Order: sequence, then C-alpha cells, then structure tokens
Amino acid sequence: MNEAVIEKSSRSPLTWLKKHSAQAAAYSGLLVCIIFFSIVTPMTGESIWSINKLSTLMQNVIVLALMSVGAVFVYALGSMDISIGKQVGLYATLVVVLGNATGSLLGGIVLSLVISVVIGAVNGAAGEVLHIHPIISSLVFMMVLTGVSSITYNSLGSRNVALSGVDVSIFRQTWFMLLALVVEVLVVSYLFYYTKLGKNAKAIGANAVSAQQSGINLIRYKMLAYIIMGVCVVLASLFQMGYTASASDSTGTGFEMNVMVALILGGMPLSGGMRSRISCAIVGSFTYALLDVGLPMLGVLPNQVFVIKAVMFLVVVVLTCRKRGGTLPR
Amino acid sequence: MAQEVIFEARHMHKAFGPTIALKDVDFTLRRGEIRGLIGENGSGKSTIMSIASGMQPATSGEMTYLGKPWQPHNMIESQHAGISMILQEANTIPGVTVAQNLFAGREAEFSKLGIINMGKMYRAADALLDKFGIENIRARDRIDALTFEDRKLTEIVRCVDDDTQILVVDETTTALSLEGREILYKLIHKMAGEGKAVVFISHDMDEILEQCTDLTVLRDGDIIGHLTRAEMDAPDAVQRIRYMMVGREIGEKYYREDYDPSCSPEAALVLDHISFGPIRDFSLTLHRGEIVGFGGLSGCGMHEIGRAAYGLEKLEAGSVTRNGAKIKGCLSAIQHGIGYISKNRDTESLILDAAIQENIVLPSLTSLSGPAMFISPRAEKKMSDEQIESFRIKCGGGSQYVNTLSGGNKQKVSFGKWMAKGSEVIIMDCPTRGVDIGVKQSMYALIERMKKEGKAILMISEELSELIGMADRIIIMKDFEVTKEFTRSPDLKQTDIIEYMI
Repeated sequence: MNEAVIEKSSRSPLTWLKKHSAQAAAYSGLLVCIIFFSIVTPMTGESIWSINKLSTLMQNVIVLALMSVGAVFVYALGSMDISIGKQVGLYATLVVVLGNATGSLLGGIVLSLVISVVIGAVNGAAGEVLHIHPIISSLVFMMVLTGVSSITYNSLGSRNVALSGVDVSIFRQTWFMLLALVVEVLVVSYLFYYTKLGKNAKAIGANAVSAQQSGINLIRYKMLAYIIMGVCVVLASLFQMGYTASASDSTGTGFEMNVMVALILGGMPLSGGMRSRISCAIVGSFTYALLDVGLPMLGVLPNQVFVIKAVMFLVVVVLTCRKRGGTLPR
Repeated sequence: MAQEVIFEARHMHKAFGPTIALKDVDFTLRRGEIRGLIGENGSGKSTIMSIASGMQPATSGEMTYLGKPWQPHNMIESQHAGISMILQEANTIPGVTVAQNLFAGREAEFSKLGIINMGKMYRAADALLDKFGIENIRARDRIDALTFEDRKLTEIVRCVDDDTQILVVDETTTALSLEGREILYKLIHKMAGEGKAVVFISHDMDEILEQCTDLTVLRDGDIIGHLTRAEMDAPDAVQRIRYMMVGREIGEKYYREDYDPSCSPEAALVLDHISFGPIRDFSLTLHRGEIVGFGGLSGCGMHEIGRAAYGLEKLEAGSVTRNGAKIKGCLSAIQHGIGYISKNRDTESLILDAAIQENIVLPSLTSLSGPAMFISPRAEKKMSDEQIESFRIKCGGGSQYVNTLSGGNKQKVSFGKWMAKGSEVIIMDCPTRGVDIGVKQSMYALIERMKKEGKAILMISEELSELIGMADRIIIMKDFEVTKEFTRSPDLKQTDIIEYMI
C-alpha cells in the first residue's frame, strides 16, 4: 500500500464518511425511523409526537437505555455480559421484597449495588485469572441467578410479588425518567471519555497486549468496566420494578439480548475498541423503542414487529461491518 | 543479453483522491531478472506491484503480462495466472496446522468423496517444505506455535509454486530470521535462473545490492532511475542510490561518529542473575548514558532478555532492579521510568485501530489524570502534538488512525509514547525494522541524543551494522547464552561478530 498517500487524503469528506460508516449508518437508521413515523403516524390517527405517545416511548426506552449506556463500558472491552437480564430480575425482586419488609427501597438498592459490584468484579476478573472468555462467567451467573430466582419464587409460593406500602409512582413519571437518563449519560460519558476508566477500557478492547505493555492493569480496568455496567443495571431495574410496582420470576428475561441489539443498531463495534461510543447506546435504544411504539400504531401486529426489527438489524450490520477489499481472503 | 519481456506497464497512474501515488510510470520486467525496487515510504514502490498483482486497480494505464493485456480483478486471479505477492504483514490462518495453511483452498486435491486425506496432505506439505530447504517447520506443527518469522516462511512456501512466473517480495525480509532470508534468497535466485522474474521491494540497501540484478529507484510516485548490475557494483553506488531516493544529499552522518564508549558509572537497570525458560543465570548492568546492543540470530534469546528487563517474563530466579526497586511487571517498569518498544510493532507496541494521540498518551494517562480522575483533552492533545512535532510524524493530525501511517511513521509513534512519558531507560527491540533510510537516520540521531541526555538504552537488533554503528557495548548471544561481548571501536567488523552468532 502506498501509505503516505492515504495519509494525506484522510481529510476528504468521503474518507470521513468511510471512517465513520458505522456511526453514519446507525444515525441514519434512527433518522429514517423518526422521519417515517413523523409522516406516517398522523395519517393513521395519533401522531407519534403526541404527549401520550412520547411518554409511552419513554417508558419503552428507559430501561433499555439505562442498561445499554452502562454496557458500552463492557462492549468497549470487546466482551459482553449475558447475565444482565437475570440481574435485573434479581435486583427488582430484592427491592420489592426488602421494600415490603422494611417499608423503604433503600435496603434493597444498597444490597443490589453490593451484589452488582461483586458480580461485576468476578465477571471482569474471570477472563484474566481463569483465562476463559468473559461471556462464560456471565453465562454462569445467568444460570446461577435463574436458580436463585426459581428458589425465591418457589418459597414465596407465587410467580410474582407486588410492592405495597412504598410509593414508586415517581418511576413512572416521564420527567423523572428523562432526568435519570440524562444524569446517567452525563456521568457515564464523563467516565468514558474523560477518565482513565473509559480510555483504558477502549484500549484493552482495541489491543489488550499493547494496552498491557503500556502499563494498563487489565484485571483492574476490566473489573471496573463491569462494575460500572452493574451499577447502571441496578438503576435500570428500579425503573423496571417501578413500572408495575412488582417483580416476577420472568422480570428481565431476554434483556441482555435487547442490549446487544440496541448497541449494534447504534453502531457499536462488537470487537470494542476506540470506535466505541456512548451515543451508540442512546441511538440504538431509541431506534429500538421507536419501532416498538411506532409500528403497532400503523397496525403492524406485534409478532410482525420482530420481523421488521430483524430486517432493520440486518441492514445496519451489513452497512457497518468493515470489509477488506482486494486482499486475498486468508 | 536482453531477455524476453514478461510484464510491462505503460502510463500506469494511481491517484487516491487528490493525491497521486504513481505518476504515469512505465515499468518493464524481463525474464531472469531480480528487480530491486527501492524508495522511501510512500514513493510508490509497493503500489506498482500491488496493481500488477490485483490488490488494487490503477486509475489509468495499461498492463501487459505474457504478451497479453492484463487486468487482474483480485489477488487470487493473479496468483492463478502466476503473479504471487508476499506481503509485509502476516497472513496465515491461525488455529490450524502448517499443512492446512499451505494447502488452504486446495483441499480438493487431497479429498475423496468429501473426506480429506490428512495423511496425504501432511506428506505433501513435508515434501514441499523439504523442497524449499526448510527443516525446522513441519507439516503437523500448529501454526500458532511457530514464531512470527517461521509463519512468514510458511507463507512464502504457500505463495510460490511451479507455475509462478513473477514473485513479488514486498519488504518481507525484515520479518524473516537470518536463516529464513537465506532460504528466500536461494529461492529467488533459483526462480531467476529458471527464466522467471522476481521483484524485490526492500528498504535494506545492502540486501538489494547483494541480491538484485537490476534496480529501479522511485521517489514521490515517479521512477527516478534505473541501475544495472554493473552500476550497482560501482564504488559510489550507495551514495548515488541514496541521493536518488531522497532527492537531496542526506549527508555522511548516519550512525554515531564518535567511538567513545564511556558512560556514567551510575547503574540505570540491573539484571541480576535472572533465569527463566531456557535463559539461565543472566546478568547485565545498564548504565546511564549507555547504549547496550544485543545481537544474534532471532531465536538466540536476545528478544526474551528485552522482555524480561521490562517485566514481561516470569522470572524463576534473580531480579530486575532499577534504583534499588524491583521490577515486577510492565506497570512497575513504567512507573520506574522504563519504556519498551516491542519488535512486533503492529501487534504489541501500537494499537493500530486507534488514533496517534490515543497511542502516544496511553502510558501517560495516570500522570495526566487530575482531580476526579479528569484527563484534560487539551493536555492530551498538547502532549501528542509535541511528539508529532518533535518526531515530524507525517500525518494529518493527532486524530489520524495509526493503521493509515507508513512503517516509519508508526515506529515514530511508538518512540513518541515513551518520550512523552519521559522514560529514562528505553528497551528497543528491532527499532528500525521496516523503516526507510530517512527515518532510520533521524532515529539514530534521536538515539544518540537520548544517550547524551543520560538515558540508558538497551538496543536489540538483527542488523549488525546498526549495532556496530550505535552501541557502546555489543553483547552477542547464541542458543540463549552470551558468547561474546564487544566494546565500541572503529575497527569492529561484521565478520568478527558473525562467527559468535552461528
């Protein structure tokens, strides 16, 4: 390759677009959704921009967005966590059960945070210490937590448990959802872009050997990334619990996959690294939620929504995956 | 004895947007030639052959191959037609055996009813390796267990077969061990003897002068001149070629000119009776303002010593200390002012898929962190811009990705990391691998400046001329043991050293 030449041409708009193709595709996905629903929904009745629909949208997006923003830290490492869903279930249950027992959410929240830190630390360290892929340890947690939830609900004698005596209606307020999301995005963005935590996580994802030789303690920064995600998952589970003021043995099921889909829709590279951005979580979550809210308004049946989501997902992935043209595939 | 033309390019032109990589060049290759292509990074020497081998299309111009118009669409097509190119980067398939790599895409030759006869494949692979005179690689070896150098050799074996008419070797020798180079040299001479053609792209002038029958010099996308074998043997050939490459006199000064091996008596890094793996009881004291050179064949253990000095190897006995503090790992090494430039620039010293700035500031992030862990983007940019400026890294700015840089500029970034960190001891493993003369010259100047500033340098190199030119002390290793130590002297010759290596 003629390197010097590529160096000079890196500023033209076309190369910029190529470099940021993942971003461009993801943003255009969201943009297309917004424009499409803005034009089409008023024809079939209520506009998607009505206060009513916007609050539905917010309810749909909040839990996913809160989780995904934190998960950016873990995805930046080039790994993923599939115990997220079961963690949400556990934390929601804890908050409800302890809330009923003590009359306050505080005990449940503190205990959830402690557990999330422990799970995060173990998930983060397992890869380095035991030389296994971090997905494996999160898979173990998924199974363990499924067991815990099963035992808990068996002993409760019911498949769900409702919160009584504590007012959690604030978690259903649109303004509070927005506030929580904005605060979380600000805090996590600060950690991700302006501190060693994020910079090191991205460096590890981009090249762990090089990161290590540059003095990054791999175990420590992997653990911290998982812990940050864990704290965000606790926050998300509060809104999940607050929505119905209850928890059940199926709370959170499949959330880990929603997070993965949202991040990929948002243009997050699955290999992690320097191109990881917090905005991927926001863009992806909102695209996902817009489809969820908008499509049924057009009379699309819920099971058909999945098909459309799948197509959309495929298009974004095809557009964002980078190809090596010309070189022998070997 | 004008031989038959095998390949010809007329008015070959290649532009990337507004910048021109090749300016309307004419290039003719004849049978029996070993054509050297030399030029600085970005001169277009690789571009010509990458177009000929179908890696990228030309913007305009015609090519003729074996007397017919030639317009390859991809590298596979070219390889089937007889033009094979060995690239700079490693291109083996990980996780499988050597034989599976050698015959990737050709499994059908060993299959019956969809079942591959692995025994047959292994026998064929061993026979092929023997044919190339390679004894240390066997068909059943897992490719991952091989060294980088041996993987490269495997790749060469795969690229070349009886139908190969033109072999393009693109700066491959820097990635080969001395033994591997001999095998490659033997191969290209054999091919030339059979009336085939070889194009040899390299930075290493000595090698080009030794191996090639013809030489073409490029600069800024233009063919500057052509030298025949007779002209290459002329006494002033080296100066003439350098002048053609750079377009100006680069001056006589290349290596250090003084022959004063003295340094501060103050120890900067002490390796005290260390043992690990095959290395037993190795000791070394590196002083401030001293350049200690390590030489030997690639498997002699010198690279491992460099890694151990940086805390990358788990020691069974002994210790590495700096100012009395024990170095336990990279982190403590960095905290005590040690920097390490790995020989695997693209996989270890640099994060290719990251910006220049992100690479340069990486080891310094701790010191850049302020209250609330805040790292000021302005401070980061300042630190990186200072290094870009001082090393004259050719780029559009600190936000440019490292994978778009040329080899020399990449290496400047890995030096910049440790300069920005202010490291006092620098361990450099093959610091000038794959770097052109202009950059080499500035790196030697930098290393000399670092010595004068009192930094301690451990320089591991496979190029003896570089060690003789730069080091105060040269330690030669063979089979994981030190065989000889030389002190800097104007009388030191490569031939004196080589006998202790082999």
